[in-house]
Amino acid sequence: MTARRNSPVHDGNLLALCQSVIEAAGLGHEDVEAYAVHEVKTSVWARDGAPAAVTSSDSWGLAVRVMSGGRLGFMSTSDLSSKGALSALARARHNAALADSRQGHLLPEAQPVPAFPSIAADGLARTSLEKKLELVLDLEHHATTLDPRARRVKAAAYADRLCHTVIASTKGISAEYFRTDCVMSVTTLASTKDETQTGFGVVMGRDIPDLDLVRCAHESVRRATRLLGGRRPSTRRVPVVFDPHVTAQLLTVLSPALAANGASRHRWLFGRRVGEAVAAARVSLVDDARLLDGPGARPFDDEGVPTQRTPIITDGVLTSFLHSTRTASLAGGTQRSTGSASRHGYGSVPEVAASNLFFHGETTPLDRLMALAGGGLYVQELWGVQSGTSVVTGEFSVAVTGVRIAADGSFGEPVRATTVSSTLPAMLESIVALSDDRRFLADGHAGTTLLLGPMTVAGT
Amino acid sequence: MLAENDVQTVLAAAVARGGEWSEIYAESRSSADVELNNRRVDKVTDATSVGVGIRVVRGAFQSYAYTNRLSRESLLETARTAAAAMNGRVATAVTYSSGGTRSHRKPMRAGQDDLGVQASRVDVARIAEAAAWEQGCHIRQVRISYGEVSQRVFIANSAGAVADMERTRTRLVARVLAESDGLVQTALEAPGFGGGVNALAGYDPATVGREAASRATRLLDSVSPPAGNMIVVLSAGGGGAFLHEACGHGLEADSFVKRTSVYSGSRGMAVAPTQVTLVDDPGLEGGWASYAVDDESTPSARTVLIERGTQVGQLSDRISAALLRLPASSGNGRRQSYAHAPQPRMSNLLMAPGDADPAEIIKDVKRGLFAAGLSGGEVNPTTGDFVFAVTEAYLIEDGFLTKRVRGASLAGNGPSALASIDAVGNDFAVKQGVCGKDGQWVPVAFGTPTLRIAGMTVGGRV
Repeated sequence: MTARRNSPVHDGNLLALCQSVIEAAGLGHEDVEAYAVHEVKTSVWARDGAPAAVTSSDSWGLAVRVMSGGRLGFMSTSDLSSKGALSALARARHNAALADSRQGHLLPEAQPVPAFPSIAADGLARTSLEKKLELVLDLEHHATTLDPRARRVKAAAYADRLCHTVIASTKGISAEYFRTDCVMSVTTLASTKDETQTGFGVVMGRDIPDLDLVRCAHESVRRATRLLGGRRPSTRRVPVVFDPHVTAQLLTVLSPALAANGASRHRWLFGRRVGEAVAAARVSLVDDARLLDGPGARPFDDEGVPTQRTPIITDGVLTSFLHSTRTASLAGGTQRSTGSASRHGYGSVPEVAASNLFFHGETTPLDRLMALAGGGLYVQELWGVQSGTSVVTGEFSVAVTGVRIAADGSFGEPVRATTVSSTLPAMLESIVALSDDRRFLADGHAGTTLLLGPMTVAGT
Repeated sequence: MLAENDVQTVLAAAVARGGEWSEIYAESRSSADVELNNRRVDKVTDATSVGVGIRVVRGAFQSYAYTNRLSRESLLETARTAAAAMNGRVATAVTYSSGGTRSHRKPMRAGQDDLGVQASRVDVARIAEAAAWEQGCHIRQVRISYGEVSQRVFIANSAGAVADMERTRTRLVARVLAESDGLVQTALEAPGFGGGVNALAGYDPATVGREAASRATRLLDSVSPPAGNMIVVLSAGGGGAFLHEACGHGLEADSFVKRTSVYSGSRGMAVAPTQVTLVDDPGLEGGWASYAVDDESTPSARTVLIERGTQVGQLSDRISAALLRLPASSGNGRRQSYAHAPQPRMSNLLMAPGDADPAEIIKDVKRGLFAAGLSGGEVNPTTGDFVFAVTEAYLIEDGFLTKRVRGASLAGNGPSALASIDAVGNDFAVKQGVCGKDGQWVPVAFGTPTLRIAGMTVGGRV
């Protein structure tokens, strides 16, 4: 199976390299997989009206996975010579011999990959560095001329990535795809004589015409100025609205609990609850790598299994976890991989991760949602999310900055140095409404304004 | 790793289009990881990578290009890519010192990498795991990770500095899950070491498994914390994450250059009580975060940041030092790998012990929280607002530790919290961690005595 597209990257022949590893492995008792990537990346930063830094890269990597009698061995290398590739195969075999036999260490069988539109924009590779510098200076200019209190940025940035991914295995998989991604972001500083606050704005796409830098600048300025004059509130329980960036952060910490994995950590939070209500009845949660406008779009996952749309929560009921080949095997029965194997770069073994994860369901217009939240807290930023949450115990205790919501739904006084606490299951169950403003943010998690029931806001 | 002729040719090509100085950072890295899960060796993995980062600087502007193809042609192409960004740039008036050392050859302890060593790493992980399971009937899941990374680094710049070094770091991580009557609690212990598997000779790997398992078990008998403002006592070592987030990041010089530090303009001024003296010392013997030469070839040095309550120093790299007109870099230019440009970073952040008995510090508190351990945190350097999570805590009532508390977070503002330290213990402990500033992960460590802070926001539920 092949999903070849026109390459935006001059890549040599990675597919032939991976196939040579598979040929060298021969037809023994073991299964072998070769995975390779080639990435060309550019990042540009500006500050104080001038370019501050440029980073460019061109890097390659190969990973070999060996499954032998249920034993897993793995080796990655940046040496893509024939000798380097064969050395990686030998070391992966050695590592497999040191491991214990575990259920589920299997490679997937080859399956046909359904047609998938191109996610690579040929024009991105032809865009000059000077053009990218112009864009980022333009972004900074916009961000510093919209409001007299916002006259500086911490950094305005542009980044892009051209990527070629290849996989081959002794199970007959032989596939590749190309993708491009670009993103612009700015952190604007809003100041009074007493304080400075920061606001973040971001836009992303496949090619530069997708990037609306005016929207990005407006977003960052609005978010920075809104926080000026913040105070620590008194401790109490109030309704809470998560803005789209915060909802995306919530999904980032929630998604590992919805991904099956070999360590079975998920069992403690949701694992025994398939078929049960785990969220408010109006809420559904979906992962869909075939959604082209999401940054996690791809034709097949990081072990070559075709991607799919996976409903995880449907009308409040937990319907499925995300699975790789291994976790599907461990689950038993008719469970199959959901095409959710994912690597953190070529140097890591595939785990299970979401691609484009988003809430959906009946939506409420944003102004109506805010009116429903009168007297509550609009949470604009979460701090300490990774350390303050646990997908095992479900604890959620993080610091926030935000704005009080007046009785009529308009923004009131900002608040800072406060915390909100709840549990992840309680938060899902307490979702009152979601807005119609969904957009994908970093890591493939979609932001949507959410109204949740009362949470403890701790302050003075 | 690189031929001498190639190095000079590449450095010259990098400055050919207007750069003031250039630098080449070549790295060969090998890592070995072993993961045990519920009494079985789940994964044994290896990784090797080589790569070169080439940097060109003109005034305040830097261009950085990297590749993992080390042919002469590829290096020259990478140098030309870095140089191209210089085209037409106007320099600001900045004076750079040559920086670095002409030839630093003092390798740190390097790990061995042969097949027999891989097996001994598995043995270490098995010892840690066995100790965790011995901690009682409530243990349900034990995961042990052994991770070892060895780097060989060569650095040269167009001002004539050259350095090469080898360094190896190892981390042993225990994640334990305990359960009782449907209540689940987890604990993580993750000590780090300078050196490879042999560096663990004086350390009993059972310790990490035992401590994680006993804490997870203790937390089964705990309550959710109260919410609100209260006196907080941070244990020796545990307070390090607080100082790292609340104070250290604001004293990294890049935030002074960007004028985004809450400590901008406070040099020479009192920022803390006189009991507070804070230093950064990369030379801590055998440390997880220690180094002899930083990642732009400057020899490491001990930097006093706060002396008896007065801010006297900051942590800099070459660019920030030049832009702030400091005499030289403090030797804190660090990077995650060849794929990252260096930036000013903390290494071992150490606070000098005071003279108070830790027991007396608690005894004087009518109502407060004793944080026995802290995990990660986060700070907004611009506002100084911070938060971190508490791994295990106890309520203090009338001078005594009473209820055990789980799932608390502590929030506050760095300068305010630093100024409100009102007791410093005569004890001291060092903990290890990793810091992910701007997406670059580097090893860090923190050493602190017991600290009492007059008021912080405790995140809990009402």
